[in-house]
Amino acid sequence: MLVYTVRRILGAIPILVLASVLTFVLIDVSGDPLTELRMQQPPPDPSVIQLQEERLYLDRSMPERYWLWITGIGGHGDIGLLQGEFGPSTQSNSYDIGAAIAERLGTTLRLVAAAMVFALGLAVLAGVISAMRQYSKLDYTLTFIGFLALAMPVFWFAGIMQQAGVAFNDLVGDQVFATIGDGLYQAQGEDLWGRITNAFAYMTLPTIVLMLTSFASWSRYQRTSMLEVLNSDYVRLARAKGLPNRVVIRRHALRTALIPLTTVVAVGIAGIIDGAILTERVFQWRGLGEFFITAVEANDSYALMAWLLLSGVLVILANLIADLLYGVLDPRIRYE
Amino acid sequence: MHKRRKTLALAAAGTSALMALTACTGGGSGEEAEKEVTWVINSLPAAWGAISSAGGSVYVIQMLSGVIPHTGQYQPDATYEYNMDVLAEEPQLVNDDPDEGPFEFSFTLAEDAVWSDGTPMTGDDLRVTMMMSASPDEGYCTTCDSRGTTGADMVEEVTVDGKTATFTLKEDLANPEWKGMFDAHSVAGGFYPAHLAEEQGFDVEDPDQLGEYYTWLHDTRPEWSGGPYQIVDGDLENQVVKEPNSEWFGETQPALDRIIMPFNTDEGTFVPAFQNGEIDGANPAQYSEDVITQIREMESATLTVSEGNIWEHIDVNVENEWLSDVELRRAIFTAINRDEIASRNFEAGYPDYELKNNHIFGSDSEYYEDHLSETSQGDGDVEAATGILEDAGYELDGDTLMLDGEQVGPFRLRSTDTVIRNNSVQLIQAQLAEIGVETTLEMTDDLGNMLGEQDYDIVQFGWSGSPYFASNAEQFWHSESGSNFGGFSNEEVDGYAEAAGTASSLDEAAEHSNAAVEAIVPQAYVLPIVAEPNYFFASDRLSNVEDNLQSSYRATYNIGEWDIAE
Repeated sequence: MLVYTVRRILGAIPILVLASVLTFVLIDVSGDPLTELRMQQPPPDPSVIQLQEERLYLDRSMPERYWLWITGIGGHGDIGLLQGEFGPSTQSNSYDIGAAIAERLGTTLRLVAAAMVFALGLAVLAGVISAMRQYSKLDYTLTFIGFLALAMPVFWFAGIMQQAGVAFNDLVGDQVFATIGDGLYQAQGEDLWGRITNAFAYMTLPTIVLMLTSFASWSRYQRTSMLEVLNSDYVRLARAKGLPNRVVIRRHALRTALIPLTTVVAVGIAGIIDGAILTERVFQWRGLGEFFITAVEANDSYALMAWLLLSGVLVILANLIADLLYGVLDPRIRYE
Repeated sequence: MHKRRKTLALAAAGTSALMALTACTGGGSGEEAEKEVTWVINSLPAAWGAISSAGGSVYVIQMLSGVIPHTGQYQPDATYEYNMDVLAEEPQLVNDDPDEGPFEFSFTLAEDAVWSDGTPMTGDDLRVTMMMSASPDEGYCTTCDSRGTTGADMVEEVTVDGKTATFTLKEDLANPEWKGMFDAHSVAGGFYPAHLAEEQGFDVEDPDQLGEYYTWLHDTRPEWSGGPYQIVDGDLENQVVKEPNSEWFGETQPALDRIIMPFNTDEGTFVPAFQNGEIDGANPAQYSEDVITQIREMESATLTVSEGNIWEHIDVNVENEWLSDVELRRAIFTAINRDEIASRNFEAGYPDYELKNNHIFGSDSEYYEDHLSETSQGDGDVEAATGILEDAGYELDGDTLMLDGEQVGPFRLRSTDTVIRNNSVQLIQAQLAEIGVETTLEMTDDLGNMLGEQDYDIVQFGWSGSPYFASNAEQFWHSESGSNFGGFSNEEVDGYAEAAGTASSLDEAAEHSNAAVEAIVPQAYVLPIVAEPNYFFASDRLSNVEDNLQSSYRATYNIGEWDIAE
């Protein structure tokens, strides 16, 4: 498996390089990072524009800039992936893209982890119940909820959840749920109990929003997978041996039925991170999603490249993990 | 106000009622409630300083409100008030007569004006701020990338004598806006401390080190203040927290214990957050009919919608072979119905919108003169437009405008892809079709390049206005201006524009600016439509909080006077 993993990682390098070339070119042709500066009123002195062009390496050709972005050779020490520098930002002279990503990664992971845990737990529960009660009212209800959740746009559902939170607060006459912010500032100086309750107040609504789509699709996978296993010969054999239904489901059926879901979840991480873009925006969390939107708004090409690179790495890693998990969970699969 | 009873959160989660009751006691009924206001800044500030091109946004300015001292500002009613807390006397114009020598003026700071560390404010603070505001070519600062260098670049010499700084301009130059060099509308939004440079080990006389000090100011959360409040916590990602500056020397002492300014980038969250008591108000930079409509229905909110600083206009590229004909341009402007455009975009949220009839002055300015109403431009008068075209030899072939047997146009009508501008150009397309002018709509995300490369025939975009106007005409229409995108050239207009920029007083500059407007209107080069409205909302529990559309500080312009009404 080690050889296979190394081979996969090495194989991912040219994919990443190719993806980075494409995205670099696309971002470069999509607009001038200094548009806002050039459109300023009164217009800035030409020497100021020149200063910015030099700082952002816009005085160099696109291939030269790409080479700089990769190697940093010939730069001012603020660029070059191989040197651990993501490049200068249009957002301010001292904006450190790498540090911003590192800082925001924690925020996003907090939200993504919470959403994944709850989505997974609920999806397994709903999928198993649906499969066990196939074609019952409960199955139809859960199926309906699943499709409804799949069809709901995140930004719309987020708005609904915010309003619901406000309505609940009004009902109980207190601020139980917060509608904006990640609560980290509010938690400063609080004891452990305060931090827990604060996290509940700030995390509940965005977590529900972010987990919704994943829950919907994963519960469908789980139901299908569970049905397949329940109808398999070895489950019939287990039942024929007189094992209690609870044991059959828990020990024999569920464990096998979780295998396809596990790999789907691994691949789905990238989707959840994408979903976090809108969720973070609506709930004003300063995570990677908000980082991406701010970079787009500021025409910050190096920040965008950094985000896209990170996304690419995460997708490749998620796929690799999914493939490896197949081998771990299914004894029939071996990697050579 | 925003203290959360955490127990209820847990109660909602289904945990024990006992826990809820236990933590409910945290409210502390015997304690006197702190006066705290949460005021939204609706974007992320990019820096801790406002001079730079990146930091020079209204968000940075508002974040630093009550921290940066300034010498005066325009009030909501467009009158100007000097800041007599900071100034010992009104700024003095030492000389404005070219025969007597160079243009010269001075500022004297109040004797008791001090920074929050107790260091007196001096003329050196003004001098160093001026040096950091100048372009690198002036030689003061190697790496300062000031967003507005015009005023500072005019200065030949600064003489500092204690609290007084006297500025002498270069030969033959005059600055009608000299009084605003360190006011709330200036490039720095006021002035910065000089003494901190030495404390941080920077020699401001060394251009490289002044650049480093400039960077330090933009990168470091200010622990200093020269205003009623100072920043005690925060970062550029989430929020800043301000508390009263104990060294504040002004007449009115701050009434609030704390001001929290969260950065909120999504206006869609304003309403629930306001309903939920998480924010007390905001003065967003963008117009949002949706938010206005919802806030208007709330009893606990004060809402005002007024004419903002960004005004929309339609420009033509006079280097287009057809549009070089002034008669065709006049006909096009006459066929465009500005009222229909303004009404479609703003009537629901701001029924009191006013069409803009002067390119430089808003209707609340003392210098405002209506130069457009007397013409039929922007009236949507198809008959008059057709008459202009017929007189000029154009004729209609069916629905197509022809000249000498050739179709006129079609023209590329461009703008940025926003809801308002999309609405607008669609209406213009339909209006021009009525006089036989065919247009194709092309939206762009790269306005700067489109304009700079003259990649349009007709375009709609916006300029942002300011109470200071002297350089506007030169910037918009002078034949050598980099912002005169459509290639217009007219000696008479050039003359007025130059005269406005070099006038020795605002009155004189206004006279020349109005003359330039009067001269440009018949040329049908730029058709102003309407100023985009701005809105402001605040909780009723606040007092002395109002919007100021004259200033980038907006409602925070008088933050030192904010209080709780209860």
